[in-house]
Amino acid sequence: MSNDNNSAFEPRIIAFVCNWCTYAGADLTGTSRIKYATNVRIVRFPCTGRIDFLLLLKAFASGADGIIVSGCHPNDCHYTSGNFHARRRWMVFRSLLDTLGIDTRRIRYSWVSAAEGAKWADLVNDTVATIRELGPYNEYKKVADYLGKEAGDE
Amino acid sequence: MNNLTELANKLLGDGTATKVIGYEEAHGKTRPCFCTEAADTGRLVLDERCTNNIAVYLTKPEIVGGHKVAVTATLPVLRTMVQLAMENQLPDGTTAIVSTESGEGLAVLPTVGDMERVVAGTPLDISGKERELRERLKAMSREERWQFWLGEMSRCIKCYACRAACPLCYCTRCIVDNNCPQWIQPWASPLASMEWQISRVMHMAGRCVACGACKQACPMGIPIHLLTLSLAEDIQNEFGVAPGSVMDHGNVLSTFKPGDKEDFIR
Amino acid sequence: MSKIGVFICHCGENIGATVDCAKVAEAAASMEGVAFATDYKYMCSDPGQTLIKNAIREHRLDGVVVGACSPRMHEPTFRKACAEAGLNPYLCEIANLREHCSWVHPKGDDTTEKAIEIVHGLVEKVRRNSPLTPIHVPITKKALVIGGGIAGIQAALDIANCGHKVILVEKEPSIGGHMSQLSETFPTLDCSQCILTPRMVEVAQHPNITLYTYAELDSLSGFIGNFEAKIRLKAKSIDESLCTGCGLCTTKCPQKKIPSEFNAGLGRRTAIYVPFPQAVPNKPVIDKEHCTHYRTGKCGVCEKVCPTHAIRFGQEDRIINEQVGAVVVTTGFNVLGTDFFPEYGYGRYADVITGLQFERLASASGPTLGEIRRPSDGKVPEKVVFIACCGSRDPAKGIPYCSKICCMYTAKHAMLYQHKVHGGESYVFYMDIRAGGKNYEEFVRRAIEEDHVNYVRGRVARIYEKEGKLIVKGVDTLLGATPVEIEADMVVLATAGVSNQGSEELAQKLHISYDPYKFFAEAHPKLRPVETNTAGIFVAGACQAPKDIPETVATASGAAAKVAALFSQPDLVREPLVAVVNRSAPPVFSTCVGCFMCQTACPYQAIEREEIKDRSGKVIKVVAKVNPGLCQGCGTCVAFCRSKSIDLQGFSNQQMFAEVEALLETTN
Repeated sequence: MSNDNNSAFEPRIIAFVCNWCTYAGADLTGTSRIKYATNVRIVRFPCTGRIDFLLLLKAFASGADGIIVSGCHPNDCHYTSGNFHARRRWMVFRSLLDTLGIDTRRIRYSWVSAAEGAKWADLVNDTVATIRELGPYNEYKKVADYLGKEAGDE
Repeated sequence: MNNLTELANKLLGDGTATKVIGYEEAHGKTRPCFCTEAADTGRLVLDERCTNNIAVYLTKPEIVGGHKVAVTATLPVLRTMVQLAMENQLPDGTTAIVSTESGEGLAVLPTVGDMERVVAGTPLDISGKERELRERLKAMSREERWQFWLGEMSRCIKCYACRAACPLCYCTRCIVDNNCPQWIQPWASPLASMEWQISRVMHMAGRCVACGACKQACPMGIPIHLLTLSLAEDIQNEFGVAPGSVMDHGNVLSTFKPGDKEDFIR
Repeated sequence: MSKIGVFICHCGENIGATVDCAKVAEAAASMEGVAFATDYKYMCSDPGQTLIKNAIREHRLDGVVVGACSPRMHEPTFRKACAEAGLNPYLCEIANLREHCSWVHPKGDDTTEKAIEIVHGLVEKVRRNSPLTPIHVPITKKALVIGGGIAGIQAALDIANCGHKVILVEKEPSIGGHMSQLSETFPTLDCSQCILTPRMVEVAQHPNITLYTYAELDSLSGFIGNFEAKIRLKAKSIDESLCTGCGLCTTKCPQKKIPSEFNAGLGRRTAIYVPFPQAVPNKPVIDKEHCTHYRTGKCGVCEKVCPTHAIRFGQEDRIINEQVGAVVVTTGFNVLGTDFFPEYGYGRYADVITGLQFERLASASGPTLGEIRRPSDGKVPEKVVFIACCGSRDPAKGIPYCSKICCMYTAKHAMLYQHKVHGGESYVFYMDIRAGGKNYEEFVRRAIEEDHVNYVRGRVARIYEKEGKLIVKGVDTLLGATPVEIEADMVVLATAGVSNQGSEELAQKLHISYDPYKFFAEAHPKLRPVETNTAGIFVAGACQAPKDIPETVATASGAAAKVAALFSQPDLVREPLVAVVNRSAPPVFSTCVGCFMCQTACPYQAIEREEIKDRSGKVIKVVAKVNPGLCQGCGTCVAFCRSKSIDLQGFSNQQMFAEVEALLETTN
């Protein structure tokens, strides 16, 4: 979906990351002073296995335009298998969202290890560019604001 | 006396069961019926008109409490019983009465293993109207699908009949009743309905037996079963797990294979 | 109404240069639930920490957010400071303003705005934090050591000498491992057995050590401080309490042609056997695979000759349970056989042998009693070629790593040969000489300069047999890749050190990780070299990577020190960031319905079934319960729980929900 008034649009992106790989990887981005877009807010979880799919929906409902979900590469999970469980959950969740017509391009899944500081910066920049292209997630926001709109200005 | 009555009386008589849950005829359709003595069993029927999933009563303490239960089971009911057993919810000693393959005779399945053997080898097959609707949805663009579901969800009155009818929605406290935090707003709005359905379907992932009870129960006629059906089909294709075959695979979402293949995590 | 304190650190210029810290503190002060907010140059410094402590006391704060560097850096520091001021340390959260903000963005309003939002997210989270107390877990002060080579012996003795009980399990009939097979050791040339056997005897006699030989680990369950090991005691077919070790059975056994493992296949042993004369325990076992009695039901000579009637043909494997608090894995390594190398004859030539076989030839207790005689005809070889890096450092062979010990033992072999065969000629083909170690380089120089071993830098392409000689064809790369051809009487291959058979299965039993070559992985290659990723399980010696004896012993003592440190605590204190299944008043007891999907999702088997019973003892309900000693706090179960009956302390549903909403709320 393209949007003509996107020049001033700053995507709001929230990142759900695991403590041991991606959070540490993002720390390394900082230690290496690699610059990336300011649009992302990071939420630290112990493991990708902990990330509830409902939190992703809550993020969209609260106004996120894009979401990053990232954790340890397969076989590198600090808890041995949390990321494998998460992977299955995302496979199923993604297929459901697609059936419902929710824009799955707005959720970016990635594996970023504690050593991949540069990859984290690229991931954020890339996601920001994608979401900028897609425009604000008004489709979902409109539904989330349903009550407000009904009671208020519309 | 028909065969079913005879068999039910035998089970009640020899102590295999103290309550038979089955179907009886009413107004040209069928409705659930509960028999605790021989006097009741004459009403029992088991034929293609029996579409309700009566396995829903197996998790209701007020119905099964203190009883040994026999259930006259259609294939969806039997699948549900296997799934319930896997989730530690099938009361001990529950037996199933099923029509034999020829459709003529009746058989008693005393153990979960017996039920599983019958269920196994009957993979989910979506056909007829459901297949048509699923294909129609698939052919739509993403925006069209979104508009379609938004339209459907805006009709939802949040009565939770879908939850009540589903034999696998047996939680003591449903997530929608949890207000710390308030995961899903209690009122009926397209967002709240959408979030409720996403939660319901995710909770059904790999568990749904595709009985269609949710669709039948919805007073607004929203095709919510399409969501569970689609997911069940996707799971069958993706992980090779058909409804009712859980005993071999474990639950789809709480197990994994290191080699699970996806193409979207980069 | 909560009273949160927000403390924004400038980290000198690190945060202050790009983020307007005063503005962040000011914005924080107006956030809901915030009672106090300030900024300071160095929050982690003593005055900074004092500032936090004073504010906690003065404003009676019930939560703290420190906006500073990554929580992976100073979270413990600030939590400790909070605790010292009387605030529960788990009511302190860190907003990462340095690594995730000031270091990755330019100076500007966007960056300051981001900092404010990060702080807001954590203020909302900390408002929902609960005070937590560390979990105390009892420790069984007994260690299990798996593998009775020099690493296991050293670890067992060190732990036992600290006053703790040790169970040492060895799969062979005797402890001693590879070290007992060696002739002399580099760089001192002292006799391996002379220094090892006293240690072996010490193990056997130590009051704190229980030794199980011919035994293997069957399974391990439990967790740090509280493991339960099932150990399989393989049937030795003798009654050890009756056997005196007189050895009569082994001399009378008619099966005498079995290749001896101890002699690396160069000697023969009987079916009832003691691996070597100094074995500990010095009592025989019957090798069921080769014993005539087990194969045909006949024979039984040993039973007839045994003066104490100790033979027990009917004996079966026994499995014993042992409760232990820590495990040290010292299962050692193996070397590739000559059959791995097509270019060197695929093991077809009797006189192409491995370094380990050469050790046996050079050993006084070996098949030739220490004389260097070649296996094919027993002749003393006049010309011997040693080839280093056989397999090692060869990615094409699947072994890219250096086996580490070969350079040194090859120098030693050549030296021993020169000492034993006067007038003999020896050649060493090598890639590089890696002699990093105390007195190692001097040792190699001695071989070259004093013992006149010919070192040729280059690889050997092929070996073939011609008129009773082994033709070794290689190149000398220091002479411009000149072809070299040597007619040798014997060739010794320094074959690569590889992981032991069964190490993968063992790693899976122990839930520890291993590298692509099936060597066990340490928790950190530099800072935690003897720990594994599974708490309470340690590794030492060559099961981790090829190691020489000094390094093996050093890691064994290191692992023993780790075990002793663990056992020196009265109990184990663990972070309380674990999952909990809710409990409520009757008749509900818990919103858990007992579907136990969480059980299959848990990587630590930490979820148990709890039966809730009425007064008469009748089970009313079965619900899940998390064993806090086992739970590592990943939270995978939490995301599965449909009824949200499990929650993770420190990362609870309420906390994460509030943080997500708050992070997106500010700029709305």
